[in-house]
Amino acid sequence: MIKNYIKIAWRNIWKNKIFSAINIVGLSVGMAACIVIMLFVFYEKSFDSMHSKNIYRLNEVQKFEGMNASQKVALSMFPMGPTLQAEFPEIKNFTRIRWQQKFQITYQLKKIFSPQVFFVDSTFLRMFDFKLIRGDRATALLKPHSVLLTQETAKRIFGNEDPMGKTITHYGNDTTSYAVTGILADVPKNSQLQFDGLFSFNTVFNPRMFTNWGGNWLNTYLELAPGTDIKALEKKFPAYQKKYMGPGGVKAYELFLLSLKDVHANSADIGLDYINFQKFDQKLTNLFALIALIVLVIACINFINLSTARSAERAKEVGVRKSIGAQRFQLAIQFLGETVLLSLIALIFAIVLVSIALPYINNLSQRDLSLPIMNNVGLLGLVFLAAVFIGILSGIYPAVFLSSFQPVKVLKGSVETGRNKGSLRNVLVVGQFASAIILMIATIFVIKQLRFMQMRDPGFTREQVVTVPLNMVTTAQYKVLKQELLNSSLVQGVTASQDVLGSHLDQTGIEFKLGDSPLRQLTSTLLVVDHDYLNLYKIKLAMGRNFSSEKSALSREFIINEALAKELLKDHKGKPMSSLLGQRFGFDSTGVIIGIAKDFNFNSLHYKIETLFLFNQEAWGFNNISVKINGARAKEAISFIQSVWAKQLPEIPFEYQFLDDHFAEVYRVDSQVSAVVSILAVLIIIISCLGLFGLASYSAEKRIKEIGVRKVLGASVQNIVVLLSSHFIKLVVIANVIAWPVAFYAMNKWLQGFAYRINIDWWVFATAGIISIIIAFVTVSFQSVKAATANPVKSLRSE
Amino acid sequence: MLSLQHISKFYQVSGLKNFVLNDLSLEIDEGEFVSIMGPSGSGKSSLLNIIGMLDEPSEGYHYFAGQAVHQLKEKQRSALYKQYIGFVFQAYHLIDELTVYENIETPLIYQDFKGTERKAMVADMLDRFSIVGKKDLFPAQLSGGQQQLVGIARALIAKPKLLLADEPTGNLNSKQGEEIMELFRKLNKEDGVTIIQVTHSEKNAEYGSRIINLLDGKIESSKQL
Repeated sequence: MIKNYIKIAWRNIWKNKIFSAINIVGLSVGMAACIVIMLFVFYEKSFDSMHSKNIYRLNEVQKFEGMNASQKVALSMFPMGPTLQAEFPEIKNFTRIRWQQKFQITYQLKKIFSPQVFFVDSTFLRMFDFKLIRGDRATALLKPHSVLLTQETAKRIFGNEDPMGKTITHYGNDTTSYAVTGILADVPKNSQLQFDGLFSFNTVFNPRMFTNWGGNWLNTYLELAPGTDIKALEKKFPAYQKKYMGPGGVKAYELFLLSLKDVHANSADIGLDYINFQKFDQKLTNLFALIALIVLVIACINFINLSTARSAERAKEVGVRKSIGAQRFQLAIQFLGETVLLSLIALIFAIVLVSIALPYINNLSQRDLSLPIMNNVGLLGLVFLAAVFIGILSGIYPAVFLSSFQPVKVLKGSVETGRNKGSLRNVLVVGQFASAIILMIATIFVIKQLRFMQMRDPGFTREQVVTVPLNMVTTAQYKVLKQELLNSSLVQGVTASQDVLGSHLDQTGIEFKLGDSPLRQLTSTLLVVDHDYLNLYKIKLAMGRNFSSEKSALSREFIINEALAKELLKDHKGKPMSSLLGQRFGFDSTGVIIGIAKDFNFNSLHYKIETLFLFNQEAWGFNNISVKINGARAKEAISFIQSVWAKQLPEIPFEYQFLDDHFAEVYRVDSQVSAVVSILAVLIIIISCLGLFGLASYSAEKRIKEIGVRKVLGASVQNIVVLLSSHFIKLVVIANVIAWPVAFYAMNKWLQGFAYRINIDWWVFATAGIISIIIAFVTVSFQSVKAATANPVKSLRSE
Repeated sequence: MLSLQHISKFYQVSGLKNFVLNDLSLEIDEGEFVSIMGPSGSGKSSLLNIIGMLDEPSEGYHYFAGQAVHQLKEKQRSALYKQYIGFVFQAYHLIDELTVYENIETPLIYQDFKGTERKAMVADMLDRFSIVGKKDLFPAQLSGGQQQLVGIARALIAKPKLLLADEPTGNLNSKQGEEIMELFRKLNKEDGVTIIQVTHSEKNAEYGSRIINLLDGKIESSKQL
């Protein structure tokens, strides 16, 4: 019996090529989208799943005087780990992590830059289950001057030599040596913590750190006893803060815990999150999954619509089979069998599609997704079952509908099968197109917002600016370098700063005093810059003067931004901004405000411009050099910088990044979202149109006699096309009416996530509406025109 | 074998009953070959459909093989039907997607015969109707007469006691029609199959043992031959 069903199913699929092709294409594309998103979801879920302990990250809400808004940050203070463990028995362990990026390591003549290393407490490997290939987990990091390297890094440094026990040196402000006490397996890519080496933190401890409350410069992870009530523990933190930091500590900070799993996917609102690798909001993952599911559902709807539309073709078969003894459920099973077979064929195509698409998806998502179907029987079974389920889901209604035909009626040909069930089909078509239109509108807005963020004048210029990290380069060396670079016409300007714009900048406490009013303590973002920084970046001064190369020996000079100026004048209503110039400001009594810069977006446009001050202080050293190059000769300029660097600083590797690329990084998640949404939108539109195409062809076929009669009576081709198309166009118009408010609501909500955002323009909705109608009309017209131009003599010939 | 008592079939059209069969009673014994005649719309096909349990009467009592069909549930009726009745249509109604062999085999599948049994039965039938050479052809590749032959073979494959034929020769030329009628006579005489056929042709009707004339849903006359 089964064999018989499969045989018939196969023949039916083969016989109705258009029907089958539409369904297989639609289903396979839908399945492929779902499989890819499923792989992505699994990958996201796998983040940090390699650890078995009950680990939480300590986070802060900072509410400093002088900041526009309170902020959640991933940072914590050096003394917190040990004191927390001492205070709360449920905290079993802690480890602090201080990261160093582009960390220079020397071994004999070999010098490398390691992208990221961690300084950690010795408990790190007791809490995290990162694999240690050689060495002893318990003791490897106990002693100062110990280091664990990953296999890859060890190979980079030592080649084929045995690294164990060897000494590596880090040259810098304070040159330090470390002995290799173990080799780590390379860190899996689905770990939030990415590092090339673990250095014993106690190597760099100094006594000041232990009392440095208020200095937030590291991450703290806590291991809690199983079953610890997090909420209850968090409630006890204010008392702890009060004990160690005084009442001010309670006012300025609120501590909270985030489970290790949530750090990757549930911390979108937490800032200063520097080492959270590929942090990706779970809400977006869920959104992707939802849209992918919609793609699949729309493909299933095609199947339902086309099956019921062409039911007339199957009606006779149903009648005959019933008259020779078939029972209804046997027929229903037969029809379901056909759908399931179709679905399984689609699955094969889907798997092929996925394997073709994966490299592009990986490039887009920056993930290592793979399709382990062939060597993962469980997954293969799951996907197979899902395909069967999809077949049953989309086949159940047509099966029930088709198997209900009465043989007496259908064999006489007296019932108009297929037309009477048109209302459900209409609803489904409207649903399909409404989803397509919503996504189309979403795509337009997402792309518009992205372009807006890339094109909007941030208040400084970032074109043709190359940034180069200045690790371990002294100010004196920098000055020589700068002079050398400026000698060439390839370089239009050189300046330096502590941080690069577009990254979260550090904040610091400052004092301010206006005239005779009392001294005010507040916190603001700080950017340490070279004196010509504003010039190179074309940041405009609202008033006052710029830094000069001639230093005044007496005072420290500061330029503040307008946001900070407004904050400083908060308590002095009515005073003009210019009254701030020359006022006491900064770290001590020697500071004065010399200028006020116009606000510029030193951060991503997701955030409002925070208060900021610029400080020209060479003595503190710079971390980054910014070189404005001649854009027409960019390649030449880069190699020139490299050659100067090699001459001046032969012992330090040269690395650079265009500031534009850096900002592309900043907006990477946004571009990923935009790419995924637009790809899925296109898929939904294509599948919906496929369905519409099929429906139009069946409807034209069914009305072929009517069309013939109308033509004989004198109807023109246009008349017939309008007759056949108007119904579908009506459905698409209704779909628009439904889609617009939904899209408006969704877009409004999404745009709330950006401090600087585009307006929701009505014309986007109108455009999407017109495009949807045009696409639908073109799709339907293929069939309508064909039917309308057919020779009526043929269709009217009596059988 | 079969008894219809006070059978009516009507359709409600804007409150009025439109009778297709009107208080009709009929007895048919095993081994009879009955021809039902009458003008278009006299209720021939409806009567045949009710006898064949493809349709239900609006009123009346229907007994078949000692069972009260009007009291049976759908499932029981279907079981009864499968066991006793074979149907032949004017338009053959073969399943286009199936070969001759598969068309004939299908009723056996629905009656849960085993594969080897089915093979033997279908081979036997193909042989008997001399269509072995056509077993792998699809209906569209056959002539009308050949298609009807397959239709009859399919109706007989499960060895029914009663064969119902709705104008079996209606779409055939006279020579093909005669062959089919000869076949019916042979089935009736040699195999003892009870046959009820609806026909327009006096000549074909006379192959039977009794002719029933219908008019406006009632039996106008019944003639034993």
